[in-house]
Amino acid sequence: MIDKTNYTELTNNGYHFVGYSTSIPDGEMQELTVGKEVVLIARIDGNLYAVDGICSHAYAELVDGELDEHCLYCPLHFACFDVRNGEVLEGPATEPLPVFDVTEENGEIWVKV
Amino acid sequence: MRESKPIIIIGAGLSGLHAAETLRHEGFDGRIILIDREKEYPYDRPPLSKELMMGTMSSSEIYLRTISEYERLKIELRLGLNIDEINTENKTLIADDGTIIHWGKILLATGTKLRELNIPGNNLEGIHYLKTLADAKSVRQSLDDVNQIVIIGAGFIGAELASSFNKLGKEVTIVEKSETPLAHIFGDEVGKYFFNLHTSHGVNVITGDSVERFEGTDRVERVVTRDGKNISCQAVIVGIGVKPNTELLQEKISCENGYIVNEFGETSLPDVYAAGDCASWPYQGKHIRVEHWDHAMNHGKNVAINMVQNQTAPYHKVPYFWSDQYGYRFQYFGYTTLPKPTVWRGDVQNHRFSCFYINNEGIIEAALIVNQPKEALPVRRLIAEQKSVDMEQLANPQSSLKKVHT
Ligand SMILES: Cc1cc2nc3c(=O)[nH]c(=O)nc-3n(C[C@H](O)[C@H](O)[C@H](O)COP(=O)(O)OP(=O)(O)OC[C@H]3O[C@@H](n4cnc5c(N)ncnc54)[C@H](O)[C@@H]3O)c2cc1C
Ligand code: FES
Repeated sequence: MIDKTNYTELTNNGYHFVGYSTSIPDGEMQELTVGKEVVLIARIDGNLYAVDGICSHAYAELVDGELDEHCLYCPLHFACFDVRNGEVLEGPATEPLPVFDVTEENGEIWVKV
Repeated sequence: MRESKPIIIIGAGLSGLHAAETLRHEGFDGRIILIDREKEYPYDRPPLSKELMMGTMSSSEIYLRTISEYERLKIELRLGLNIDEINTENKTLIADDGTIIHWGKILLATGTKLRELNIPGNNLEGIHYLKTLADAKSVRQSLDDVNQIVIIGAGFIGAELASSFNKLGKEVTIVEKSETPLAHIFGDEVGKYFFNLHTSHGVNVITGDSVERFEGTDRVERVVTRDGKNISCQAVIVGIGVKPNTELLQEKISCENGYIVNEFGETSLPDVYAAGDCASWPYQGKHIRVEHWDHAMNHGKNVAINMVQNQTAPYHKVPYFWSDQYGYRFQYFGYTTLPKPTVWRGDVQNHRFSCFYINNEGIIEAALIVNQPKEALPVRRLIAEQKSVDMEQLANPQSSLKKVHT
């Protein structure tokens, strides 16, 4: 049974419904636009993580890169980020990726932006 | 503990900067002195012809590191200092202001210098080159009074400038000596693609002709070509290529199209290394020199590791550059002397394709990727692996690049 009160709580807390859990299998990622934000959501070992979808270095969409376990590689100058916390694992990026809270409720994905 | 002898890096460009940082990260505890004749803190060059020229990025955003970062890593920046001479007997170097600096090891990261046109009218105002932030600022500042711009040379810098000025609403003409732009790198067919890319955006491209003189009273007003064309303009930008800065130690180090280095970045002189655009390095059995951002960064980092830990990190990155023109993104991997692509994949008409230069053994030597960023990392891997590929699979955009090996 879908818990309506929980949905209200999510919405009240700034969460947005962005899609269904089945759309992001383990080890894969997807780019979504929430308001003005481009968000990248990835699933690793069953858990969802959400980071800014645009590389913090120059301009590239990270969904066009590759995800290897928790390492997210940019397709333009190949910076590497930890998708779990946005940290830079390898340059040329120097700034971490902003991270977003993401949660799954009843097979739905909600992101807070 | 005795402190290590200073490491001097000549050239605070991309390569020199990354080398300096890497030395520290690798645990080097001595002095690191990073020298440049430019007065600017280290900055990034690619935006000069793109975002900065279009005005979508300001010059304050172009610096590679904050000032505190140099302090944190104890990198001693010496800006506005030109090195004239390096003495290898007593290991000193002499700057143009007479300063003498002692060194233990040296990294030459001197980059390249512009090729210049030596023709009548050279000294008129409004004739520009583009290499430094100061060059870019001076072009930007003059743009208000300019409607027509002539670009000499349809290489990458010329092409990016054409695209940027086109975006700013200027009337742009490119004059290119060869029959087809970029054909010497990509072959005729791809060259024609780039030709059409310009013309379809309303940029005039004159090929197979060269500039004979500039005319004007004080400022440039006309470009006159060998074939007798007169092109009115209020500004000219010359982008006819660069050559490596190898004046320092030239007599003592083996040089041929750059300082020759081995896979560890060592020159023929002990304790003297070279990295980036100024170095000629071994790639797939040949010595090559590339003038690309990605190489400059990686080579600088790599050579620095070897400067701290002797010969531990052989360098073999696949050469790579990208270019942004007219809102399209081009990515080129590898190195080839093959005259044209062997396999095309994707949709050329809609500017979403990749083309591959494949040798007789079925190995991809190089690839150009156009607006297909998802293909970049897989293609880089394919080229690095040097395994033969199934050309039919490769030509089929439906088949995954992860499954094209024979
Ligand atoms: C306008 C422009 C756009 C570009 N766009 C792209 C792009 O889109 N993609 C790409 O892949 N590449 C691009 N590049 C190329 C890329 O920027 C270079 O490959 C890279 O900057 C090379 O770095 P480097 O450190 O080897 O040399 P440089 O950046 O040239 O640095 C060398 C430094 O050494 C200093 N120096 C030299 N001799 C001395 C001396 N005797 N004493 C003191 N200082 C000295 C110079 O002042 C210079 O600052 C572009 C270059 C330019 C100019
Ligand atoms: S844009 Fe991602 S590494 Fe440069």
